[in-house]
Amino acid sequence: MADVMNVGVNLEAFSQAINAIQALRSSVTRVFDSLKDGMKNKETLEGREKAFITDFQDNLQSVNRDLNELERLSTLVGRPSESHPLHNSGLLSLDPVQDKTPLYSQLLQAYKWSNKLQYHAGLASSLLNQQSLKRSANQIGASAKRRPKVQPSTLVLPIQYVDDVISRIGRMFPDLSIELFRPNGTSAVLLVTLGKVLKAIVVMRSLFIDRTIVRGYHENVHSEDGKLDIWSKSNYQVFQKVTDHATTALLHYQLPQMPDVVVRSFMTWLRSYIKLFQTPCQRCGRFLQDGLPPTWRDFRTLEAFHDTCRQ
Amino acid sequence: MGVTCVCQVPVAEGKSVQQTVEQLHKKLEQLGAMKQGSFFVDCETYHATSNASGQPSKLLYVMHNSETPLSCLALFEGGPFLTADANFDVLMVKLKSHFQNAKGHKVESRGARYRYCDFLVKVGTVTMSSSARGISVEVEYCACVVPGDCWNLMKEFMQSFLGSSVPELPAVFSSKPEGLFVPTDCMDTMSQYLELFSKVRKQQVLPGSSVR
Ligand SMILES: [Zn+2]
Repeated sequence: MADVMNVGVNLEAFSQAINAIQALRSSVTRVFDSLKDGMKNKETLEGREKAFITDFQDNLQSVNRDLNELERLSTLVGRPSESHPLHNSGLLSLDPVQDKTPLYSQLLQAYKWSNKLQYHAGLASSLLNQQSLKRSANQIGASAKRRPKVQPSTLVLPIQYVDDVISRIGRMFPDLSIELFRPNGTSAVLLVTLGKVLKAIVVMRSLFIDRTIVRGYHENVHSEDGKLDIWSKSNYQVFQKVTDHATTALLHYQLPQMPDVVVRSFMTWLRSYIKLFQTPCQRCGRFLQDGLPPTWRDFRTLEAFHDTCRQ
Repeated sequence: MGVTCVCQVPVAEGKSVQQTVEQLHKKLEQLGAMKQGSFFVDCETYHATSNASGQPSKLLYVMHNSETPLSCLALFEGGPFLTADANFDVLMVKLKSHFQNAKGHKVESRGARYRYCDFLVKVGTVTMSSSARGISVEVEYCACVVPGDCWNLMKEFMQSFLGSSVPELPAVFSSKPEGLFVPTDCMDTMSQYLELFSKVRKQQVLPGSSVR
């Protein structure tokens, strides 16, 4: 009985109320039954009508009586405790045959999942709303003519602003020298020289980094015609690996609303390669694995790991 | 041109030069290194015949490296060093009256060239007057140009096939006035070979070690 008190329900009144509901339902059924059957066969028309009306009134009165009784009882039943997180469904936990029908625990699980789903869907939708930028926006073709495309504001930043952001980043890191070129119109190409370790070519679109390629400090960055060579990969396996990881980093550091933060984060990450050949792996403690130094840098801690030693 | 380290590997106890070289090849192949052609480095010694200033005459070394087939390197004892075209040799013949070739002093190292990832390993037999005098091993880490950056990494690599006979940081790097963090050039490699060759020259002839 103690459990019942906890829930705040008067079981006695509850069972009476259930009985009252049954009574109400049967009296209501009687009303409609009599209406359906219509007038009973009597000698005179007046007799028929009179008997029908009396019957109908009796039935309605009993409905009224039963309804009043139910209302009286319902005040006695009391409200189930509001403190229960799942309201009335919390009563399922009272089911003594928990082991056979684990309804309540399943319900809790489902509730948790649906909560989570809603939360994540909310996050995803807000992120997707920001991501109006498409990387291949100019490939839309014919449809672009019909519907004037909304240019994401961050794609049309003034050249001066881009220059400022890049030069500010360059000043932040003394061991990182950044040269800015604009070989094809407004898009910038950065030649980043990191100490005497590596050179990275960073191809930008406005303040977004489109692609990057990393080569050795002593490798050519210009092709034979004197132009910046943004295509050929490094001759050295170690820098081919670093290029792969740098491409991964570009996808990792994404913040469409604040492209300058992204460029800065990427440069901070790239700068951790200043000790590419000097730092042993943080997991296995060795310099080399399969002839390669630790080429992976953790995105958060910037710790060095071999490609196979990272988690 | 990466950072190189040239060192002399002692002949294994009870083995010939040839057997020790084969042992090294085997270890490299086990490591996963791929054989990629052969190499040679040679060195001729010249004495200056005339000495106008009255100072003690310096030796001139003329060296070739198969890695740079179009160049010829001339090194004066203690400097200066110069890189010239390959027909510098012809010039030396013309300068016969000033520089005399010390016959029988020609030293060379020949052997196989192995590639392992970004490393280049050259295991050579050092010969002088057609007798094998020792074994040279050159390790180059091609991806890096600064000795101070990658020396520990190179040491770990050399340990993997040289075991205990891993050399110290070559003096040519540690004695540079600019320190360990200036980029290397091919002259650094050649001075290491020169140093190894002069050590071998002073060495006793190993008994029963004729090359051919
Ligand atoms: Zn590792």
